[in-house]
Amino acid sequence: MADWLEGLDLEPNDRPRAGPSFVERARHAPDDDYPIADDFGRPNLLGAVEEEEETPFQQLTRHWMNERQAPDILPGQEMLLGRILDHVRKQSDDVQLLRADPDSSEDEHFRIMLVQTEIERVKFVVRSYIRTRLYKIEKYARWISTTAEVHEKLSKAELDHARRYARLTEYHFNQSVLQSLPPQQRSLEDDMAFMPPMIPEPDKLRPVFVHARQECPPVRLPDGTSIAMEKGRISLTPYYIVEQLLLRGEVELV
Amino acid sequence: MAAATHQYGDLATQLLVESRRSTATDTLLKYNDVLVRSIVREQRQLEALLQAALAAHPDEVAPNPLLPTILLYQTAINRNKRCLLAYHAHRIDRLKDLYWSVGGALPLLLSMPSAAPAHANADGQGNAAAAPADVRSKLSPHEVDFLRSYNTSILTLRTEAFSSAASMSQDDAGALTEDVDLMAPVVKPPKDLHVLVRVVRDCGVVHTEQGAIDFRRGHRFLVRRADVEHLIVQGFLEEV
Repeated sequence: MADWLEGLDLEPNDRPRAGPSFVERARHAPDDDYPIADDFGRPNLLGAVEEEEETPFQQLTRHWMNERQAPDILPGQEMLLGRILDHVRKQSDDVQLLRADPDSSEDEHFRIMLVQTEIERVKFVVRSYIRTRLYKIEKYARWISTTAEVHEKLSKAELDHARRYARLTEYHFNQSVLQSLPPQQRSLEDDMAFMPPMIPEPDKLRPVFVHARQECPPVRLPDGTSIAMEKGRISLTPYYIVEQLLLRGEVELV
Repeated sequence: MAAATHQYGDLATQLLVESRRSTATDTLLKYNDVLVRSIVREQRQLEALLQAALAAHPDEVAPNPLLPTILLYQTAINRNKRCLLAYHAHRIDRLKDLYWSVGGALPLLLSMPSAAPAHANADGQGNAAAAPADVRSKLSPHEVDFLRSYNTSILTLRTEAFSSAASMSQDDAGALTEDVDLMAPVVKPPKDLHVLVRVVRDCGVVHTEQGAIDFRRGHRFLVRRADVEHLIVQGFLEEV
């Protein structure tokens, strides 16, 4: 009890002497049994101070949100995904073991249920992340297959799919429309004045809401002025302005 | 005569109206083969007129007096072509939506009407409401081909996607594929572990966490969502 009170007795620049809180310890635990703890990490989504490392799941959530908001395809997070999936698998195995154990108490069963629910929710984010990327990949498949710079942002499987999909759509257009037109009209790459291009590209001018995760170097706006993105600031800007900051992880899209 | 009011591009506009209607009502309309063909015919006509106009004054030096005519034809041709392509692209998008909405079960999607006899002995017409009616008859043959190839591509992606991610970690690589079902819905995150379902169509014995369950029409079960998610998506079960 005394320790607990001591912990409350905060002086302005003094850390509680009782050591890191449970939440912090849970967050730093490498193989935590209860991924529920992961959720504690985001108490103040847009709030100020958060010095600790993000857990893998928090990172994934951030990348997932970025991916969903950004008009362009962002670099894929294969390593992170692999780690999370490993963890999910390990958790599932543990859950299986614990469930089979006749000695687990009522209390433990409740916790198992929480873990299982959390696993389902993590899987949901993983799924949604992959599907979001897939959507963009298919939308810009023909652009991707001709633009080499994008290739490194995709995993091999994604790139293969993009190529296959681009070929597939072109084949479909040829079969159902172009082959019955006169030969002069069969191109899929007309470049006409006053017409949108035939190969859709990501619209980098699209406005996005961006939240600065740390102090960022000033960015130049289209009208020539520049603004400093202080930490915690949220602004609405065209995507291309914050593109570099986003790639470096200094800002996130919200 | 109706043809008196006909302009180049009218047909293409009709085609686009159809696409819009399909979006607005969220339905897949039948592939309009007749209209597509008549636009293609118009394109050939326009091309012939264009070539004739170009040939009339082969002289490169003097400005061609037919230049406005040529420009008009050219614009009409380009517009028609883009409308045709837009119509087909729009349909592809819709088809992909449908494909994902049934959880990638392509045979199920294509054989919606013919699936009924297979289960007919028990439930007759009961499933007509759950499934989009008669999808295949609304498709052009090329679109069926497209869906097939798309399905193959997605299946390849599924087997490859996680094996590359998993190879970073040590042991059995392919196992991760089963962990995350890409086909499951992504509209709303799961809130509960279990779900109460009503069986709409017989789907035989399914192995779940609680053991094997024989899903028979009309019965209700409380099961783990992850175990039956795909059956819900494909319309065999219904959430209560």
